[in-house]
Amino acid sequence: MLHKTINKSEFRKLVDLLMENEEVIAPKQIGSDIKGKAIHQYLPVSTFDEIDLDYEITQYSAKTYFLPYCENLSTCTFDDDDWTQNISYRLQPRILLGLHACDINALLKLDKVMTRDSFPSPYYVSRRKNTFIVGIDHEPCEGGFCQAVGADVVTHGFDLFLTDLGDRYFVAINSDRGFNVLSRVRIKNITQADTKAYLEARQALAPVFETPYMHNLPNLLDIEFESPVWEKWGAKCLSCGSCAMVCPTCYCYGVGERISMDCSSSYKEKQLYSCNLLDFASVSGGHNFRAKKETRLKYRYYHQHRGFSETYEEPLCVGCNRCGRVCLAGINPPEIIKDLQLEGIR
Amino acid sequence: MKYLGIDPIKPKIAVFDFTSCEGCELQLANKEDTLAGFLNAVEIVTFREISSAASDDYDIAFIEGAISRSDEITRLMDIRKKAKVLVALGSCACFGGVNRMKNAYDLNQANREVYGKIAKETLPVRSVKEIVPVDLEIHGCPVSKAEVERIVQHLVWDIPYTQPVYPVCFECKQRYATCSFDLGQLCLGPITRGGCGAPCPVGGLSCWGCRGPSEDPNYEEFFRIANEYGYGDDEIEERLNFFGGFEGVR
Amino acid sequence: MTTLLHPYDVTQESDMQSPLDFNRRSRLKHVDRTFKAEIINIISLTEMEKLFQVRIMDDYYRSKFSYLPGQFVMLELPGFGEIPISISSSSSNKGFIELCIRKMGSVTTMLHKARRGAKVGIRGPFGTHFPMEKMHGHNVLLIAGGLGLAPLRAPIFNVIENRSNFNQVDILYGTKSPKNMLFNYQYEEWNRIADINLQVIVEHGADSWTGPVGMITSLLDDVTILPDDTFAIICGPPIMFKFVCERLTDDGIPMHRMFVSLERRMHCGMGKCCRCNIGSTYTCIDGPVFDYWTVMNLKEAI
Repeated sequence: MLHKTINKSEFRKLVDLLMENEEVIAPKQIGSDIKGKAIHQYLPVSTFDEIDLDYEITQYSAKTYFLPYCENLSTCTFDDDDWTQNISYRLQPRILLGLHACDINALLKLDKVMTRDSFPSPYYVSRRKNTFIVGIDHEPCEGGFCQAVGADVVTHGFDLFLTDLGDRYFVAINSDRGFNVLSRVRIKNITQADTKAYLEARQALAPVFETPYMHNLPNLLDIEFESPVWEKWGAKCLSCGSCAMVCPTCYCYGVGERISMDCSSSYKEKQLYSCNLLDFASVSGGHNFRAKKETRLKYRYYHQHRGFSETYEEPLCVGCNRCGRVCLAGINPPEIIKDLQLEGIR
Repeated sequence: MKYLGIDPIKPKIAVFDFTSCEGCELQLANKEDTLAGFLNAVEIVTFREISSAASDDYDIAFIEGAISRSDEITRLMDIRKKAKVLVALGSCACFGGVNRMKNAYDLNQANREVYGKIAKETLPVRSVKEIVPVDLEIHGCPVSKAEVERIVQHLVWDIPYTQPVYPVCFECKQRYATCSFDLGQLCLGPITRGGCGAPCPVGGLSCWGCRGPSEDPNYEEFFRIANEYGYGDDEIEERLNFFGGFEGVR
Repeated sequence: MTTLLHPYDVTQESDMQSPLDFNRRSRLKHVDRTFKAEIINIISLTEMEKLFQVRIMDDYYRSKFSYLPGQFVMLELPGFGEIPISISSSSSNKGFIELCIRKMGSVTTMLHKARRGAKVGIRGPFGTHFPMEKMHGHNVLLIAGGLGLAPLRAPIFNVIENRSNFNQVDILYGTKSPKNMLFNYQYEEWNRIADINLQVIVEHGADSWTGPVGMITSLLDDVTILPDDTFAIICGPPIMFKFVCERLTDDGIPMHRMFVSLERRMHCGMGKCCRCNIGSTYTCIDGPVFDYWTVMNLKEAI
């Protein structure tokens, strides 16, 4: 990987240049909550001033730009008794600016499922390859436990990655298109002072909050399958799926079809679903394999922390704790994992 | 119009209004881009809002409105006898709707409040299913035309229809919205049936529960959350009673 | 202004341009491409079930399409939906596949109205299969309950067509009542094959019924089981295969030589949607055919 530095004024020029050409999506403050805390989202922006790179965390992850909540998989047109199916994939490039390490790590995990595993998804591949990603280092965020799951540092999966050094950014370049884009503005070779400043900056970013102890979690989950911890937290679950919607890695979905009123055309739509929704595991004939709230909640954790680990040697979770923040009932991974650990010790 | 060589049933449809604002009926006549297809798929024999013709020969009866007078009961029972399929259209028909708030007051007092000295005959408000068996309920105040169309398609092809079971929150999150609770509003999203696309919370007005409860709602936790956010029992009660879909849950 | 970023067109990838290779999972392909198939015959089985003979219309893809006993396809009615259906016909059959479909939800109800000549969509085949080759030289127990005869028919055909490769072959089938029996027009044919023992039982008899009445496990009383030399394939509702497998375990058949087919509501068939997930196992990729040892270790499988 190449490293360079870029002055903040030059970086602004670069973003302006990008915006002239392509759609740019970046963290933007959209308001404040009742406690006065700023709410940020990844949204399309048209001027540099709309962007807030000093954001703590966005309420939603950037997942929707790769796995849209609703996506048209194919359309069908009918002609008498015959039909023709049409499929199209995303073609337009776009820029996703200001992603934190956890969100890039989330994409790397999704890559494993969607691009490298059996049946790679051309829908995902198109979106992923057409997205130019600029990441940025950040202060640790409250409630996050990215370090506990090894998602606080990222080494690939982006085009450019920035670390704030005051008047300039330390830039890691991870792709030739990243290099080409940077060559449009003035960049400098790194000096020893830059490297020193970068290392100091990284040191300062080490999490200051208490993070859950995740050691041996996959085995613990197996042993604690019947634990009362699930009943305790399951009783709180509203089965609303909000956790999975804000999650940067939850990718479960359902497929449905709609036909036009005059039967001339139809489309097949993929809708992200959540394993906490009541009918997630219902089968034809009405049997529901996960009729209870606690079973559904448990399986969300099993998929994230055990099932995925079994297949890919790492959890699906990146420790952003967006699910914990969005949950009205206060269900959150750090507390559940702590409860399970205590249950295991007892 | 055929599909895979299968001929659709072109059902004869009748639309009737009872105690209501007729807004749901208006929804049926809305959505210009698909209206032609809709009208082609069915044969409308009685629908006061689009035609003065009326016939007693129909397969599907859409009932809009709640039941609040004795003559309405007679009329509804007569429709039930004639219709093969009876559909409750909208929150008033499904739960009694906004009208149901009347039931919390003394009937005479309510009568005086509305009609003054010229009192009208009135009964406690009831939903359609409290009078006659209902085959299908379409929730919402007003109903969404897209949902009505989907249901009508199922009727036209005579195939079973399943409602979304999840609460409004799910679709609200799919539209990238900020939680109403975080913005300082009490919201019934967590316990209300989704399928509407969450237009209210996405537009800045929290959910009032017009679609009634989702499947297996977690009331206990919801009340705890609402209290925790500082909403008193009275305020929650008032919200729950607004459309009548949550009667008796608290 | 020159372009900063070049659009990437996934369809230009060589994997997307070469013809689709059935039963290969590793390539990037038009994964949601549906093969148009014609319903060539519809056979009424019971009040609830019909057998659809379906033929892929494109000559090239039809010639390429192959599957193994136990695999399933995603069957699509454009505009109405897509459902997983196990292939019920012989895997040596190249011309068409047979799908036995019970009228349940909106897609199957619609399908039951369809006529011969209707064009449907097929994706697949997907999933694991019964390891028939492993069973060569051994006794085979083929046991089905209810709709389970539909997926069991594929291994039954495999055994019949390769009869000399197997030793003793028993087919046991149980349903609720005589009117629920599937494929009863084929029993006589199967029974007339020398060296195949077919037995049928119902839970609740009827006036016209002269056969045995009881649970499927009672048919096992009359079967000589050589535990060290027997494989079993069991298809049916979870409660049924649980009882049968427990009984066979008692008889001494090792769990890894009993195979079952699990049912889940798949939405993709490709290990993506997670709807068929059992713990960390995907029914569509790691299954639907599992050995009983694996099933026993899958929490929530039964």
